[in-house]
Amino acid sequence: MTPDYFSTLLPAIVALFILGALLPLVFRDPRRESIASFVPAAVGSLLTVVLSASVLLSHQVFRFSSPVVAALPSMSLSFYIDGIAAFFMLIIGLVATPVSVYSLGYANSYSGKHSVRALGSLLNVFVLSMVLVTATNGVFSFLLFWELMSLASFLLVVYEHEKETNLRSGITYLVMTHIGTAFIMAAFLVLYFQTGSLSFDSFRASAGNLGPFTKDLVFVLALVGFGTKAGLVPMHIWLPKAHPSAPSNVSALMSGVMLKVGIYGLVRVTLDFAVPSSPGDAWLGMLMVVAGSSSALVGVLYASVEHDIKRALAYHSVENIGIIVLGLGLSVVFMSYGLETIAALALLASMYHSLNHAVFKGLLFMGAGSVLMGTGTADMNKMGGLAKKMPWTALFFLVGSIAIAGLPPLNGFVSEWLTLQALLSSYQVPNVVLQLSIGFASIALALTVGLASATFVKLFGISFLSRPRSQAAEEATEAPVSMIAGMTIAGSLCVALGVLPFVATSAIASGFGFDMGLVSSYAPFGPLTVGYAADGLRSVSSLSMPMVLLLTGSVGAALLGFAAVAGSGKKTVTRPYVTWEGGFGALGERTQYTATSLSQPIRTVFKWFFRPHTTVERDFFSDSNHLIKKSVSVYSETREVFEDDLYSPALRGVVYVLDRMRRLQTGKINSYLLYMMVATIALLVLVVFQP
Amino acid sequence: MTSLAADVVSALQVGAVVALAPLLTGIMRKVKARTQKRMGASVFQPYYELSKLWVKDEVVSESTSWIFSSTPWIVAVATVTAAFFVPVFLPFSPFSAAGDLLLVVGLLALARFFTMLAGIDAASAFGGIGTSREMMISSLVEPGLFLTIFVVSLTLGGTNLTSLVVAAAKTGVVIAPSMLFALISLFVIILAETGRLPFDNPATHLELTMVHEAMVLEYSGRSLALLEWSQSTKQLVLLALLVNLFLPLGMPTSIEAGVTMLGLGSVAVLLKVCLLAAVVAYVETRVAKWRLFRVPDLLAVAIAVAMVGMVFFYL
Repeated sequence: MTPDYFSTLLPAIVALFILGALLPLVFRDPRRESIASFVPAAVGSLLTVVLSASVLLSHQVFRFSSPVVAALPSMSLSFYIDGIAAFFMLIIGLVATPVSVYSLGYANSYSGKHSVRALGSLLNVFVLSMVLVTATNGVFSFLLFWELMSLASFLLVVYEHEKETNLRSGITYLVMTHIGTAFIMAAFLVLYFQTGSLSFDSFRASAGNLGPFTKDLVFVLALVGFGTKAGLVPMHIWLPKAHPSAPSNVSALMSGVMLKVGIYGLVRVTLDFAVPSSPGDAWLGMLMVVAGSSSALVGVLYASVEHDIKRALAYHSVENIGIIVLGLGLSVVFMSYGLETIAALALLASMYHSLNHAVFKGLLFMGAGSVLMGTGTADMNKMGGLAKKMPWTALFFLVGSIAIAGLPPLNGFVSEWLTLQALLSSYQVPNVVLQLSIGFASIALALTVGLASATFVKLFGISFLSRPRSQAAEEATEAPVSMIAGMTIAGSLCVALGVLPFVATSAIASGFGFDMGLVSSYAPFGPLTVGYAADGLRSVSSLSMPMVLLLTGSVGAALLGFAAVAGSGKKTVTRPYVTWEGGFGALGERTQYTATSLSQPIRTVFKWFFRPHTTVERDFFSDSNHLIKKSVSVYSETREVFEDDLYSPALRGVVYVLDRMRRLQTGKINSYLLYMMVATIALLVLVVFQP
Repeated sequence: MTSLAADVVSALQVGAVVALAPLLTGIMRKVKARTQKRMGASVFQPYYELSKLWVKDEVVSESTSWIFSSTPWIVAVATVTAAFFVPVFLPFSPFSAAGDLLLVVGLLALARFFTMLAGIDAASAFGGIGTSREMMISSLVEPGLFLTIFVVSLTLGGTNLTSLVVAAAKTGVVIAPSMLFALISLFVIILAETGRLPFDNPATHLELTMVHEAMVLEYSGRSLALLEWSQSTKQLVLLALLVNLFLPLGMPTSIEAGVTMLGLGSVAVLLKVCLLAAVVAYVETRVAKWRLFRVPDLLAVAIAVAMVGMVFFYL
């Protein structure tokens, strides 16, 4: 039996978000509008955390039918919160809470320029729709909330509607998300034809009876559909446009949470509706592994040469979704071969990374928003020296950077450790081709990890360190308290999830219903463990983050002690002075490395991928002498391979076909009458000859 | 062995690593000098340098932030912590249950991350050039390194360093083809990781060639001493790792082997590491610094060789 308070909690959450959506509409003052919308959002998100945590702790499925629309059976809203749904609700709640707090201050940067109440209202609708997508238990309501989520986020993407680029990215997003929805609908329709019902319960019940072809079809359709929402390559093109266009608090939600809702759909289909059960299903897993590792690589490569801070973060979302899908794909491969233990390990890695990515990407987008608010620009080449002007933002951005770069002791390291261990466990798959392919996929992942760490050196270093590169950066100011509070919550979560992995592993193990003892010790503070057994070799690889932290602390204390003793003989002085300028006099800001120049070697090494296009323009004093130049300017840009080579030709083809079809529309009434007559005759013929 | 005794032994092991690391640097410099027909400084020269730097005043750029001043400490702590997880002289580290090979790689990457940030912090173009080059090299090292770990982990079992070293010691001389390829790959990677020729020249301050030195160019006094000491420690740890995994000759197969055997094993490790260091230093006199954009070719070779190693393991 589920406790009684569950059934009041879900309506309470819905009511709070609706309140947050409606309340700001009655105020006229931007400050009150933001309080009226974001305080209910924060409370609602916190309650979402409570609800999901209770479901996870109770190990039970929570069912709930809405009494309001129960009268209409075809449209009845029934909710079904099992461990999987609860885990993704936990992600939503954990990110939406700090983002709502953060928005209290961030929304003020729009007051007077844009409607704060629209931002607040839509943000509430957006979060609510995501919560309901994960909680719902039928195709109809799922698609309804899915659409609501897409539309609310579309409106938020075009929030700063006076900029044409934002409108363009909004349209790209709208089109791509609907292509994705079409595939999702197709997947559900296939399941509907198999089961004759639109309820998820019947999908679940008949999961074992799906024919191999049907299963493959559902799987691939779902991968494309949900992959579009999650930002898998090559359906990712909307993501690096839409995320930078949206206000930063919305970017934090879109990148941190909405992409995970796409992952939720994928998980729901793979674990519930089309469960891989025989080695014949392994290719579906490999498809995910390939899609995941190429997403990871493509995402990080574009991020590494990007100088717009928000667009770079958006490309990193493509990368991290790639890592998540890679883990999920490994899990599918292992499940196909019945390797329960390592399937659980891979799933744990993938879900842990989903949770981590939500938290640190939320944090990083919030940090980027503070920078944007403080300097007025998202171009890193105009930043610099912000660590002194915005110390708190800098600290939290650094925490997020270390986490996303997968460095110990923060959370990104733990989930990447698990992912690497899952890759290393692939030796158990009894198929040489798969073993080698997974081994080679690990190259892509390792390169991704290396490039990610290099990219975050650039992101943090160019924005926050060295000297200001523009007047705006010189005059930057620290963000208000509420924004720092939001970042503090997310930053603490990064630290907590890194240092205390057992919290996350037990939540995931309980949510996905596998034995936690397979990969982690039951004791709190116990290590994560992965066994190895083959050819008479037996060993256990383990990782205990609390122990590592303790050791690091002891080493630090010992080092400080050594410094105090060894240097006590002579007092040293630290003298500030200007950076050595090579004897040429004071250095200008322009002699510093920029984001573009810092990544130049990477751009050169991977030029077969980026295909950089460089234009050099020279202006001469006179045409007779080309040795003396008035000015030289160099423009370098990388090409968007996917847009130029995949989408543009496809789009041109569609436009061409539609152009041809337009010839039917002559505008003359005679021809329309002719069409009608032809259509009528055709229908009559059809009726007559129908068997 | 009781857990307290194990911890003490492990702390002594790390103490020895940290204390002997500058000596290894001194030996490498000496070998390099002699092969270049120079006398070279005493092998203890790095100790003199460190003790001099330790008590010197520092000059810190006004452009820097707290990242610059805390980096040497973070680098030192991360490197020494990494040394705790590696069985260097003994076939055993009590912390293997808390962290494995991947954690060691992660901690060294953390140290590098902060070194790269510190390079940018002083607003000098030299620091930028070093960071920019290190960004490229480090990201390309990663796939080769992980693939090597993959092969080692498949052949010797898992990523727990104590089990790996013990398994290697039990196998004796490694004749598996997969391990030979992994050895070649790891040797190239260690050259890149420790900033040796042909990737980087540790003895240069010429802007055309320096990578690591460019990043730490703004440092002086105690901070510089910490950074150089950490660099030596990292070098010793990585070379010892290579020796213990691929050339386990003389390493006892268990911590219970008795004091004599363990002592002999430690001496053997020391000798092998010195020999390997001499090889590295000798290689340095025979090759020139490669042009920066040829470096990826060498790293690609390392990746390819490790891939061949994996194919050999599975087939």
